[in-house]
Amino acid sequence: MSGRQMRIDEYRIEEEPYYLPTGDELAIAEAAYGDGSPLLLKGPTGCGKTRFMQYLAWRLQRPLVTVSCHDDLSTSDLVGRYLIRAGEAVWTDGPLTMAVRAGAICYLDEIVEARKDTTVVIHPLADDRRQLPIEKRGELLTAPPEFMLAVSYNPGYQSVLKDLKASTRQRFIALSFDYPSPDKEIEIVRREGHLEPELARSLVKLAGMTRGLKDSGLPEGASTRLLIQTGKLIGRGIPVKTACRAAISEALTDDRELLAALDEMVSSLF
Amino acid sequence: MDLESLKEKFYRLVAPSLPNEWDVEEALSPLADNDSTCLDEIFAQIPAIWPVSHSLCFAYLSAAGPALCYLAVDELSLWVHTLLDRYETGGLRGAQLFMADVEQQFARQLRGQGGLRLTNVRPRLQPYVNGLAGRELPLLGAAEAATDSEVIFLPSEIALFTEQEENFLLYKLMASFQWASLAAGVFAAPPLLKLHRKSAHPLDCFFSEFDRPDDARRLFHLLETGRVLAFLRQELPGLMRAAAPLLPRLPLSGDEAAALNVLDRMQRGLLRGDWPADGHSPLVDRALALLRHSVGQAADNRASLEAVRELMVLLAPDEHLAATAPLIFQGTLRLQEMRNLGMKRQADKELRMMQSATVSLPVVRRPADAGAQSGNEGGQQGHDAALITEMEQAWEQLTPFMQSQALQISIDDMPQPPADPSRDHGQTRVTGQTTSATGGTAGPAMARTPHAGRKKGQEMTEPVVYDEWDYRRKGFRKKWCVVNERELPPVQNTFIEQTLKQYRGQIRRLRHQFELLQTGERFVRRQREGNDIDFDALVESVTDNVAGLPPSDRLFIRLARDHRDIAVTFLVDMSNSTSGWVGQSIKEALVLICEAMEVLNDRYAIYGFSGMRRLRCEIFPVKRLDERYSRTVRQRISAIGPREYTRMAPAIRHMTSLFAQVEARIRLLIVLSDGKPEDYDDYKGEYAIEDTRHALLEAKAKGIHPFCITIDRQAHEYMAHMYGEVNYIFIDKIKQLPARMSEIYRTLTS
Repeated sequence: MSGRQMRIDEYRIEEEPYYLPTGDELAIAEAAYGDGSPLLLKGPTGCGKTRFMQYLAWRLQRPLVTVSCHDDLSTSDLVGRYLIRAGEAVWTDGPLTMAVRAGAICYLDEIVEARKDTTVVIHPLADDRRQLPIEKRGELLTAPPEFMLAVSYNPGYQSVLKDLKASTRQRFIALSFDYPSPDKEIEIVRREGHLEPELARSLVKLAGMTRGLKDSGLPEGASTRLLIQTGKLIGRGIPVKTACRAAISEALTDDRELLAALDEMVSSLF
Repeated sequence: MDLESLKEKFYRLVAPSLPNEWDVEEALSPLADNDSTCLDEIFAQIPAIWPVSHSLCFAYLSAAGPALCYLAVDELSLWVHTLLDRYETGGLRGAQLFMADVEQQFARQLRGQGGLRLTNVRPRLQPYVNGLAGRELPLLGAAEAATDSEVIFLPSEIALFTEQEENFLLYKLMASFQWASLAAGVFAAPPLLKLHRKSAHPLDCFFSEFDRPDDARRLFHLLETGRVLAFLRQELPGLMRAAAPLLPRLPLSGDEAAALNVLDRMQRGLLRGDWPADGHSPLVDRALALLRHSVGQAADNRASLEAVRELMVLLAPDEHLAATAPLIFQGTLRLQEMRNLGMKRQADKELRMMQSATVSLPVVRRPADAGAQSGNEGGQQGHDAALITEMEQAWEQLTPFMQSQALQISIDDMPQPPADPSRDHGQTRVTGQTTSATGGTAGPAMARTPHAGRKKGQEMTEPVVYDEWDYRRKGFRKKWCVVNERELPPVQNTFIEQTLKQYRGQIRRLRHQFELLQTGERFVRRQREGNDIDFDALVESVTDNVAGLPPSDRLFIRLARDHRDIAVTFLVDMSNSTSGWVGQSIKEALVLICEAMEVLNDRYAIYGFSGMRRLRCEIFPVKRLDERYSRTVRQRISAIGPREYTRMAPAIRHMTSLFAQVEARIRLLIVLSDGKPEDYDDYKGEYAIEDTRHALLEAKAKGIHPFCITIDRQAHEYMAHMYGEVNYIFIDKIKQLPARMSEIYRTLTS
């Protein structure tokens, strides 16, 4: 972390992010916000969880503090620590504390990647107490009504070590995300990837095909994010088939037979 | 070499088996004339074939001599390799066919003269088709391309072009076309069609309205082919662009010089874009116009049906269309098979609906609830009467078919007679035999019930008794299943050695990968002592000091090894259906995983299970948790073989109770199975699935993570229900099991 105290305003989202609602997720999230309940977003990778949070933060006009969790994330990485500055010990808030103080939205991405002893720090914050104890300073922060906690995870992981503890997950309002319906996905890919509707349609068709291959050895198919990336490659002048190979097939698998099958799909579609 | 020494050599190779001498003589006698080099090579293959199938091995011995007329001696092992593949896919019959025609089936491919075989393109094409369809749509070999809505049939070999790439493209076109026929609704039943016979496909009913139904069917199929090609052009433009140069070169029937019939002309139009100007016959002109314009743009098959009506009137009585073969990718219509499958699906669905309907009806079928029966007779009767009226009303709303299905169920689901009163008084009855797992006559099982027909293998511990879940009464059948642990007599043969040799490279790779798991080293910060100074902690401590807080003395980083603390049990299905390749692959998988696990400190156990009926559920310990991976364990793995039935739940309950004595952070139960739980008695279908599901729930409640590896194609229908969406995996190719299993274990625990 840089020595400089991050200003919360840097986390404000000024421009409206593009987000196409797929169901009643917005209504639920806004109701949860009004109630002070935390949110749990689950869904496959690249289906729009993070984008949804950005959009929600913009709608609510709150700063969005995102923390990508990993297994070396410690409690002080979240809450804060003392740093020496000009011979003085200065307390620096961690992202979570900063969000609580400013009444921002704190979004812990891929929460299951964090160690379980780290995730318990959010427990008092995630129930009706809405408190964050800062042991180092002997301080007990109570979150203002504007503060919101949101976490996300991908239930597709099969590792038994990476599951959310029941005591953690039962504090959240859960929103289940999936890839959008084809029509909506075409619209999203067209807009975000700056593509012709026809090309977007074919890309979405390709994604649909890859998502039916769980039994053939592909645990997760092409995500909406991959399609948008492919679209952007195409927009920069890369030929369609090459772009699909680079951004979709090779990104999905190393298996030679599956790669060949994915190539057949691409060559059939384009 | 004389017959006696051949026999001796043979018996040595297949030991400890002792096949019938008469069979052996018959198989070996034709070989006696071969020279010793040939004989050595022929005999060298026996250890590979014998464990797979004894009958196959005898068939091989009879065929090997003649086969060597076509093959060089050193090509024999390759031939046997292909033979085993054929046996795996086509059974003994397929293997016999393969052996009968060495030249066509094998030698030509070897010399590079053959076409492209389906088996070679399937790895590439199968996921492609699955992707197109969004579901499993297996590709099977057949004489002609076709589909029955659950399978796509393709020719076993295509040798139409000299370039294999073009042959492949044709395969791809065929598969895509058959999928597109399904997707474009070629086989959809049109509305307002009169159904003459319920068991026939609606389209067949339509064709039978004409005096020449087969010609009507040919016309319809070709008109629809035009529509499907248009559909493909729209859906898969890349494919159709690539196939465009191929289409005009596909074979066509009909002689250009002689008169072409209407189908010939339509086919030429479709493939070659050869649309002659008007002026042939009214039939041809009209047919071509319909094919080009109306049908090509239609959304469903109604336009084609209308067109058939129109064209059949114009078709001259003496003009026959039978001579025209369908286009190669178009193939044949399998309407009747499709109808049969559809009816079966419908019946299954209605059956399930009926079952869930009857199950949800309350109270009457709870004889165990004795208090309600004796204490409140009048109220119960009134309730029953109301229920009966309700059921009768529901009955009348059912279709006749569902009624017939429901009748069968209601017999099974009859309220059971009240429980034997003697049971409540602590008395026991001798229940030596019962045929039904679900019938009401059987009493509680007793641990010391004498067994008829004891199998070889000693009982190792006292039998244990477990409850069984009956979903219909939402309660347990108390003390219902008797589980015996039996010893698996170690077998000495070459299996382990061969497996270790065959997977040499893979084992080395696996060990390396597993080693990486083991050395889960990480730096632990903020320790009182360690290898390095934790700079963050030091800074913090100084700042704390400056700020007037007590500074911490935890200032070091220590390199810690992660203690995995995982205990895993592999539970192996040893039912009768695992004979042949399935059992072989499961055993190989076990050897591989054991070899890999040896570099890890994870504790692991292997148990097999099988049995027959509730009183004889058998568990075969192969390796207990605290046992070393010794020579005996390896010999027990060799001894794993198909036995009887798959009553899965008692085995799972037994594992759960064994696990209860184990301290571990993660306790994992991995079940290897080839199908649904099923026993000799009524233990099958929903009852068995629900019982197994319940046993798994009990395991989960005790902190055990169950996971299933299955090779059953129908797995999706019930696996997700039993294990949960992400807790099972279906392995398509049994041969991949050894490699995949270790990979799965690695993913599960890292």
